[in-house]
Amino acid sequence: MANWVLKGLRTGIKTTSYPQQLETAQGTSPGRPCGMVLESTEKAEDLVARCPTQAIAGQDGGVAVDIRRCIHCSRCRSDSDEPAVPWDASYEWATYNSDAAAAVQALEKVFGRSLHIRFVDAGACSACVSEARQLNNPYYNMHRLGFFMTPTPRNADILLVSGPVSDAMRHPLGKAYDAMPEPKRVVAIGACAIFGGVFGSSFAAAGGASKIVPVDVVVPGCPPPPLAILHGLLLVVGRKPPSQPVSPVTEPIGEPA
Amino acid sequence: MSATAQLFSVFFLLCAVGAVGALVISDRWNSLVLAAIGSLAALVIMAVGAFALVGDTSFQAELWPVLSLGTMRLSVDRLSALFLFVTGLVFLPVSIFSGGYLVKYRGHYSLQYFGVLYHALFASIVLVLIADDAISFLVSWELMSIVSYLLVNFESERQESSHAGYVMLAMSEAGTIAVAIAFLLIAGAAGTLEFAALRATATPASAEIGWTVFLLSFFGFAVKAGLVPVNSWLPLAHPVAPTNVSALLSAVIVNLGIYGIMRFNLDLHPVSGSGPGVIVLVIGSLSALIGILYATVQAEMKRLLAHSTIENMGIVAAGLGAAMIFIANGHAVVAGIALIAALYHLANHSVYKALLFLGTGAVEAGAGTRDLDRLGGIARRMPWTSALFLVGVLSISALPPLNGFVSEWLTLQTILRSAILSSTAIKVAFASCGALLALTAGLAVTCFAKVFAMGFLGMARSEGAARAVEAPLGTRAPLALLAAACIALGVLPTYTIPVIDRAVSPLAHQSATAALVPPFFSINLQRQEKLPEKFVAEFHGLGAQVGRDTLPGRGLVVLHRGGKQNPVVFAMSTSYMLVGLSVILSVVFIVFRLLSRRRLLARGPVWDGGLRQLWPGITYTATGFSNPVRVIFEAVLQPAAGEDNVEAVAQHFRTAIRRNHAEIHIVDRLMLDPSIASMRWLASIALRMHVGHVNAYAAYVLLALLLVLVIGAVIF
Amino acid sequence: MATLDQIAKPAAQSENFPELYRRVWNRPVSVANVGKAAVYRVDCEPQELTQLWQWLIQDFDFAFATLIVEEEPNGGRSLTYVLYRQPSQWVYVDLRLGPEATAVPSVVGLTHGPSADWHEREAEDLFGITFAGHPRLGEFVLHEDWPEGVNPMRGNLDARQPPVHRDPDAKWQPPMVVEALGAFAMPVGPVFSDFAESAHFLLETVGEDVIRTIPRLFYKYRGVEKIAEGEAVDCALLLAERFSGTAAFAHGLGFCQAVEAICGIEVPPRARALRTMFAELERLRHHAAAITGICNSTALAVAASQAALIEETLLRLTCEVARHRYLFGAIKPGGLACDLTEVARGRLAAAVESVAQKLYELHGMLRYSSSFLDRLEEVGIIKTDDARSYGLVGPIARAAGIDHDFRKQFPYAAYESIKFTVPVEQDGDGYARLRVFFREAEQSTSILRQILSALPEGSVCAADIVWRAGAALSAVEAPLGAAFHWLRILDDGTVARYRITPPSFTNWHGFHLAAENFAFQDFPIILSSFGLSNAECDR
Repeated sequence: MANWVLKGLRTGIKTTSYPQQLETAQGTSPGRPCGMVLESTEKAEDLVARCPTQAIAGQDGGVAVDIRRCIHCSRCRSDSDEPAVPWDASYEWATYNSDAAAAVQALEKVFGRSLHIRFVDAGACSACVSEARQLNNPYYNMHRLGFFMTPTPRNADILLVSGPVSDAMRHPLGKAYDAMPEPKRVVAIGACAIFGGVFGSSFAAAGGASKIVPVDVVVPGCPPPPLAILHGLLLVVGRKPPSQPVSPVTEPIGEPA
Repeated sequence: MSATAQLFSVFFLLCAVGAVGALVISDRWNSLVLAAIGSLAALVIMAVGAFALVGDTSFQAELWPVLSLGTMRLSVDRLSALFLFVTGLVFLPVSIFSGGYLVKYRGHYSLQYFGVLYHALFASIVLVLIADDAISFLVSWELMSIVSYLLVNFESERQESSHAGYVMLAMSEAGTIAVAIAFLLIAGAAGTLEFAALRATATPASAEIGWTVFLLSFFGFAVKAGLVPVNSWLPLAHPVAPTNVSALLSAVIVNLGIYGIMRFNLDLHPVSGSGPGVIVLVIGSLSALIGILYATVQAEMKRLLAHSTIENMGIVAAGLGAAMIFIANGHAVVAGIALIAALYHLANHSVYKALLFLGTGAVEAGAGTRDLDRLGGIARRMPWTSALFLVGVLSISALPPLNGFVSEWLTLQTILRSAILSSTAIKVAFASCGALLALTAGLAVTCFAKVFAMGFLGMARSEGAARAVEAPLGTRAPLALLAAACIALGVLPTYTIPVIDRAVSPLAHQSATAALVPPFFSINLQRQEKLPEKFVAEFHGLGAQVGRDTLPGRGLVVLHRGGKQNPVVFAMSTSYMLVGLSVILSVVFIVFRLLSRRRLLARGPVWDGGLRQLWPGITYTATGFSNPVRVIFEAVLQPAAGEDNVEAVAQHFRTAIRRNHAEIHIVDRLMLDPSIASMRWLASIALRMHVGHVNAYAAYVLLALLLVLVIGAVIF
Repeated sequence: MATLDQIAKPAAQSENFPELYRRVWNRPVSVANVGKAAVYRVDCEPQELTQLWQWLIQDFDFAFATLIVEEEPNGGRSLTYVLYRQPSQWVYVDLRLGPEATAVPSVVGLTHGPSADWHEREAEDLFGITFAGHPRLGEFVLHEDWPEGVNPMRGNLDARQPPVHRDPDAKWQPPMVVEALGAFAMPVGPVFSDFAESAHFLLETVGEDVIRTIPRLFYKYRGVEKIAEGEAVDCALLLAERFSGTAAFAHGLGFCQAVEAICGIEVPPRARALRTMFAELERLRHHAAAITGICNSTALAVAASQAALIEETLLRLTCEVARHRYLFGAIKPGGLACDLTEVARGRLAAAVESVAQKLYELHGMLRYSSSFLDRLEEVGIIKTDDARSYGLVGPIARAAGIDHDFRKQFPYAAYESIKFTVPVEQDGDGYARLRVFFREAEQSTSILRQILSALPEGSVCAADIVWRAGAALSAVEAPLGAAFHWLRILDDGTVARYRITPPSFTNWHGFHLAAENFAFQDFPIILSSFGLSNAECDR
C-alpha cells in the first residue's frame, strides 16, 4: 500500500514565496519584449513589420512595445543579423483594462482572504487553460493567497475569462457573468481574451472578452504564466499595483537577447 | 331507548334514505345529495363513537334468533367506539369530496348505482363494528366485502378494473372462509355463537386447536388488513377504484382487518404463549418493509399510496404483536402502551392516508395525471392543494410535530421496552423487528420526499401539469379538515392517549395511563392547588416546573415511567415542540430581516451551465430518484433485467434504446403465483373427471348420494 | 470491370496496388513517391464511392485518415478521401462535384464507416455537402443560432465579418434516444467543473447508469481553417501552433513539414534531431499533465501534486531551453527558430534523468494504490474492434490494442534512426490508458537521452526558402495521436487551403463508447482518462 503521506512529507515545500518576494527561478516566465533605442527608422520599421500583432510601435528614437498585444512568437528576436528587441524576465504584466467605462475599484476589504473564481474557457487554446490549472499546483498554490475555484458562478466573485470568445461561447459567457452576484470583477487572461490574439475578430470569434462582458483587469501573455495570473488576481483585490503595459523607448541594459 | 340507540337508528335511517334517494334523484343533484347525507351520517357516527368512548354509555340490541345457534346481537364497547369514531372521521371528508368528484362519472357510469353502494358500504361497515355475535358479524362482513368489491369495480369497462376486482373478491372470500372456520372452531366449546358466550369460554381444547384457530383467524383478517403474505389484492385494487373509494379502502376498510384481529385474538379468544405474538410482530415488520420498498420505487401515486398502506398496517400489526407478547409474559402496562401505539397509528394512518388519497384526486382533476413522471411544478399553480398535501406528506413521514411522529415514536419505544422480557429468543426477534421498522421509517421519508418533490416542485413535465388548475373549494375543504385533524392529533397527544387507553384497558387488563402518567398530567380535571414536594423534585429534571404555570401541563409529557433510577422514559412533547419551533423560526426570520435590510436581492434564472434553455426532459424523474433504492434492494425487488433493445441505423447511430423494468411483487413471486400454478395443476388433474358423457355425470351424482348416505349413517 | 469476387481476398502485401486497381477498376492510378512512402491517387465517381471504400478497407486493410474538401474556382467542390496502410502506402480518392451538385453517398454504414462519420458531418456544416444516407446531419460544428444556409468554408463568406445570428427555435431540444420508464437526461456544461474546457454532454439515464452520452463539441470553434486562407505561410504557422497550445510544437511541425514537402526544402540534420527532441519534450510534458488530470479526477491529492510538480518542472525546463513554456515560436519552415546551446543541452540531459526517475517512482506508487485503481480498472472500456472501426488514434487506441504509431510506421524528422518501442495494452480501460501514458513518457525520456547524447552539428535552419505552388499532406504523431495537416499554397507563399485533422477530433467520436453503461460518478474519471483537448478538436 503506497504511503502517500510520507511521500508528500519527503517532497517538502516547493511553493514560491511570491508575492512576498519576486520569484527568480528559471523558466517561470517567457519574459516580455522591451522597448529600445534604435539608430535608424528603417530598423524600427523592420521591427514593427516583423511583429504579427502590431505590439511594437515605432516612436521617436526607437520602438516601444505594448505587452498587451504580444503573443510571444519571438520573431522580434530570432534573426541574428537583424535588429532584435531585448527581452526581460518579468511576469508582472497585469493592468487595468483601458476600455473600462469607469475606474475600476478594487474588491472591497470585506472579502478579505476568501475569493472565489469562476474560470470560463471561451474558446481558449489549451495553453491558457493549462497555465490556469498550474495555479493549484504545489509551486504556486493560490489557496495560500485566499483564492479558490468554484464550479458555479453563483458563488463566484471573480470571472476569469480566456479565449477570444468563440461564437458558440458568447451566450454561455454572458450567462455566467449575469449569474454572478454583485460585487464582481472580470479578469481577462491571455492575448486572445484581450484583443482576439492570433484569431482576431472574425466570423467565429468575437475578438476579446470585452466584446461580451465588461472587463476590469487584463493579464497579457500568450499564455500568461501562472505568476502573471497571480499578479492579475492580486491586482483585482488591490494587493498589488498595476504594471505599465507599454515598455517605452530606452537604452538597452545589456546585449540584446 | 338510550341516546346511543337513537343515534344508531338515525344513522341507519339516513343510510336507507340515502340509498333510496340515490336511486330516484337525477344525476344533476345525485352527488350533492350523497355528499350531504353521507356527511350527516358520518357526523352521527362520530357522535356515537365519542359518546361511547368518553362517556359510559353502553348499548345492546337483540335482533333475531337463528335456529339453535344463538341470537343475533349488536353492541358497542369502547374498542368498537374507537373504530366507529375513526370511520366517521374519514367518511365525513370523503363524502364532501365525493360531491364534487363524482361529477366526472356523469354520463359514463351510473351515479345511482354508486350512491346505493356507498350508503350500503357505510351501513355494513358500522354493522361489522357493532356486531356482537358471529353470525351478524359474518353476514355484515360478507356484505361489506361484496359492496366494496362492487365499488372498486365501479369503472367496470376498464380491463384492469375487472382483474383487480376479481383478485380482491377472491382473496377476500378466502379470508372470510378462514375466519368462519375459526369462529366455528371456537364455537364448538361455547355451544353458541354469541360473543359474550365465546368470551366466557375462552380456553381452547388443545394447543393444536388453539394454534389452528389463531392462524386461521389471523391470516383470514390479515387479508383485509393487507399484511404480507396476503396483500396481493391491495396494490391492484387501489389504482383502479375511484379516488374516494380508494380513500375508504385504505383508511377504513383495512382498519376492519385490524379490528377483526384485535376482536378475535385479544378479546374473544385471547392468545396464549408468546408464539402467536411473535408471528404477528414478524409479519407486521416484514409487511412494513416490503410495503415501503415497493412504494419507494413506484411512480404512480395511487399504487404508491397502496403500498404505503401495507407498510402502515404492518406497523400497526407490529404494535399488536408486541402487545400480545407482553400480555403473554404478564407485562400488562407495556402491553397497554403497545396497544395504544397501534391504535393511535391506525387512527393517524386513516387520517393522513385519506388526506393523501383525496389530495391525489385533486391533483388528478387539476393536472390531468397521477403519474409522478408526468407531474411537476404544480405547487405554484395549486398552492392550497399543495400545502395541504404537504401536511399529509410530513405526517406520513413521521416528522414532528405531526401525528405520524407520535405513533411511530410510541411504537418504536415499546419495541425498545422488550428489554424487560426474559426470553432471549423473543428479545432477538424484537431487536430485528425494531431494526426493520427503523429502516422502514427512513425509506418512508425518501418515498414521500420523492412524491412531493417530483410531483409538486420543479418543472412541469407534461402539458397537463403546466396548465394545472387549483381545486375548487368543495375539494379543498375536506383536505383542510383532514389536515387540521393531522395537526391536532399531532400536537395534542396527551388528550388523545387517555381516550385510547379507555378502549384498550379491557384488553390489556390494566390502564396504561393510570399506571404511568403522574397525577397532575392526567386527564383528571381537578386542579391541584399545591403540588407535593416529591412530585416537583421528581420532575425537576424534566423542566416540568417551567411549563406548569405558563403552558398547559399536559403538553409536556406523553407517558412517563416512575421510579428513582430512570424517572422518564416516554417523555416528549409535540405541543411544546410546535411552540418552540414557531418561536425559533420567528426569531430567526426577524433577525435575518433586520440584518439584511441593507442588502439588495437580485433574481435570475437558475444556473444551468450556460445552456440556452432548459426543458423538462432534463429534470430528475421519480423513477430516477428512486433508482438507488431499486439497485440496493435488488435482491428483494428483483427487477427483470433484460437486454436493452437497441435500434440502430447505419451501424452505430442508435435511434432508440429501449429498456423495460418488469417487476413482479415478491409476495406474488414467492406465494401467489406458485399457489395459482399449483391450483391450476390440481384443476388440470381434476379436469380428467370431465369426460363429457352424460352417463358419467349421472354416475357421479349417484356416487355423491351414496357417499352422503354413508357419512350420515356413520355419524348419526 | 472485373467483379470484385474474382479477386482473391485478402490481397497480399506484396501485390502491386496499381496493378490490382487497374485490373479491377479499369483505370490508371497515378503514383508518386514522397520520401519512402508511395502515394496513389485515384479518381472516383460519387456513385462508385461506397464500392471503392469497401474494397480498399476490407480487401486491402487500408485505414481512413481524413477527408479533405476544397472549393474549386468554378464553385464546385473536390473531396479527397485519404487512406493509408502499412508499409508506407497512401491512397487519395478524389471525387469532384460540379457547382450544382451537393450530394455524395455516405460511407458511415460500411466497414470502418464510423471513422468517417464526423468528417462527413463537418463537411456538411462547413461546405454544405449532403451525404446521402447519413442519419444525423446538421447542428454539428455550427450551433443552433448560426444562420441557415450559410456555410463558412465556402468562398462567398467574408471571414472577418461576424454572422447575422438567427433566433434559435425556442422548442429546440437535442434528440433523445432512450425510451424507458422515467428516462431523463442530465446536462453537463458547457461551463462546468473547475478548469474543464468548454463542451456539453447530455447523459441519458434512468437514474444510476449513464445509458447514452454524446458529447457536443465545437463550442470553441474559431474557424482556423478559414482564417488561414489568404494568409502568408508565416502567419498561418502562428495559427497552426496556437489553435491547440498543449500540442503546439507537434502541429507546428506538421505544418512546417507540409510546407517543406511542397517547396522541396531540405531540413538540416541538426534541425531534424532537435525537432524530434522538442516533440518528445512536449509529449513528455503532455503525458505528465494527463497523469495529473487522472489523479485529480480520482481525488488522490498527493499523487496529483506529485504529477503536477513533474509537469511544472517540465514546463520550466522547456522555457529555459526553448524560450517559451509551451514551445510557441520554436519552429519555422526549414528548421527551427532557435538553437540549443551546450549549456542548455547539459541542463536538459540532467533534468530529463531526474524527471524519468520521478515518473518511475510515481508509477510504482500508483500501481499499489488499490482505492485509486478501483476507480480506473474495468471502467471506461473500449473494445479493440470498436477502436478499429472508429479509427481511434494515439494512446487511447494503443490502450485498446491497436498497435499503430506514426513515428514508427511512417517515420518523420529523426525518428528513423532512434530506437524506441511503442507500448500497447489490450484491456482498453482507464488503467490501461494510464499505463500507456506512463510507458510512453518513459519511451520519450529514452528518445531524449539518445538524441542528446548524439546531436549532429550544423545549422538549425535551411537557407532561404523559395515558394512554390503545390499541396502536400503531412502526418505527425502528436501527443494525443496522429494529426494530419493538408496544405495547399500558392506561388507567392500564401495559403489557399489548410485542412487539419487533429487526433482529438478522431478520438472524441469514440468517447461515448467508453462512457456508456457506467455510473455518473465514473464520468469525470473516464473523461480525464482520455485526456482529450477540446481546443484541438474544435479548431
